[in-house]
Amino acid sequence: MDRRLRETTYEVLSRHGVDRRRFLRYCTMITAAMGLPSSMVSQVVQAMESKPRIPVIWLHGLECTCCSESFIRSSHPLAQDIILNMISLDYDDTLQAAAGHQVEEIRRRLIEEHPGEYLLAVEGNAPTKDGGVYCTVGGQTFLDVLLETAEHAKAIVAWGSCASNGCVQAARPNPTGARPVHELVHGKPVINVPGCPPIAEVMTGVLTYVLTFDRLPELDRFGRPKMFYGHRVHDKCQRRAFFDAGQFVEQWDDEGARQGWCLYKMGCRGPMTYNSCSSIKWNNGVSFPIGSGHGCIGCSENDFWDNGPFYQHLAGVPLPGVESTPDTIGKIAAGAAAVGVAAHFGSFVAKRALFGDKESKPADATKDTGDEA
Amino acid sequence: MSSISRPVNSPPPGYFAQKYVWQWPIRVFHWINALAVLVLFSSGLYIWNPILVPAGEPWNRFVMATVRKIHFAFAMIFVVNFVWRIYWFWMGNNYARSGFPFVWRRSWWRDLFRQMVDYLKLERGHRHLGHNALGGLAYTVFVIGLGWLQILTGLALYSESNPDGFWGTLVGWVIPLAGSSMAVRVWHHLFAWGFIVFSILHVYIVFYDGQQYRNGLISSMISGYKFYEADDIDHDTWIS
Repeated sequence: MDRRLRETTYEVLSRHGVDRRRFLRYCTMITAAMGLPSSMVSQVVQAMESKPRIPVIWLHGLECTCCSESFIRSSHPLAQDIILNMISLDYDDTLQAAAGHQVEEIRRRLIEEHPGEYLLAVEGNAPTKDGGVYCTVGGQTFLDVLLETAEHAKAIVAWGSCASNGCVQAARPNPTGARPVHELVHGKPVINVPGCPPIAEVMTGVLTYVLTFDRLPELDRFGRPKMFYGHRVHDKCQRRAFFDAGQFVEQWDDEGARQGWCLYKMGCRGPMTYNSCSSIKWNNGVSFPIGSGHGCIGCSENDFWDNGPFYQHLAGVPLPGVESTPDTIGKIAAGAAAVGVAAHFGSFVAKRALFGDKESKPADATKDTGDEA
Repeated sequence: MSSISRPVNSPPPGYFAQKYVWQWPIRVFHWINALAVLVLFSSGLYIWNPILVPAGEPWNRFVMATVRKIHFAFAMIFVVNFVWRIYWFWMGNNYARSGFPFVWRRSWWRDLFRQMVDYLKLERGHRHLGHNALGGLAYTVFVIGLGWLQILTGLALYSESNPDGFWGTLVGWVIPLAGSSMAVRVWHHLFAWGFIVFSILHVYIVFYDGQQYRNGLISSMISGYKFYEADDIDHDTWIS
């Protein structure tokens, strides 16, 4: 394992019969995939030639494996290129052939032998209630596994909304106390790659960046790489022209839906969701939800499960006993104010009618105006 | 000493005097603010629920974009006007400060309580030159407090198309603070209705107050002059 780890990507590739020309073509492609200018190709080539491959531990906690499913469908670069050539994926209980105690042994040995060198990829999050018993791996709580592995990691990549912001298992009322990785692990750089799942090319792009430049990409306020989460789905949406024009789908089977108008009124979360869906798209660039006629549900945003219903523009406000929109609450408050005003005016008129138009006397200055200013 | 603050030139019993209370920056602020709130709320209603259905093709229709542009333009007017008012809090006369909730003063609490009783019993107490404690509290909560919240959430939403830009750098922290972009939107809507609640109460109470106290309250926001009699309360010294 040691010898393999010290190998560079270029060495691995040449061992597999990849010639220099194809290697350069490969480097150019992943440079483009990371959104970098062609002037950066030489740096990518240099990194691939000189930097030894990084060992990666890929943990699975409370999750549905949709991130892995997405990851293995990456086409630029191919996931197999990443797994077989660029990294040394030494632990991934979903993809690896080995099982049981052997696997856990590999993880422990890797932590001991390469402290501070390996990259920790986390899919899913950890339940914290009742000592973390709601997710255990090999008899150990996932919370323990996560903290133990994170302690000596070089950096952590939090895959998907589960690891980045909690997702469905952290939605109200969060019975297992599930918490995202960055709230549990402290003192380690964490890259959040939210989405349910994240786009395959975003996942491989983030990994490629970290491996190539040996540093974290620039992150935004939510710890997300700006290169993929710097714009909203809305900003590059193919239906944006209909939004600006004011032409909206009102019902799923109306003329607007047939014409491909904007899905804003159908609850589309595009205007509040930072992701690359409208530019990179899904399944090798085939389409994305809005392109296929359904609104965005904002799966890469914090609390998107709690911000429902999905098919109304604004989230419901959970008040005890009722579920209402902020505007319902506003109308009720405005109505209450109007009723109060009407009641006051009514009594004013009634008082005038009963006691005549006599002006009430000003208060006596000598009595109750004492002021010790 | 229990010296109650009286206007310096009290008129003889049965006569009115008038005093210049609201300086022109206050009056200008008031009417620009009223206009901005009206435009912002109505354009906001459309942005929330775009009920118009423009016919034709999107290349020659720009309804939502135009309404948003109006909303943003008046939002900027609102912000500048708001900053201007805060500046005038320090630079203006004492009436410009009389709405401040002086919660550490017993006299403020007493005035607050008495004003509420007077309003509820439909009785006439003292006129106040400047704000009474209840009015001042309402303006502080609904105009200044809600104004701040609405400006912060609004600018945070405005910055979303360019999170690395000027506004994003300045107020982008509001979004993680609220939890998510959706949460900021929900708060922005709730606060917007606060302005409606305030407008209903405010418009009613100035008509009631002007009628009941005969202090020329409504015209004072145009001319700047309020009427008073002997024994009324002058905030010029009450609050300073």
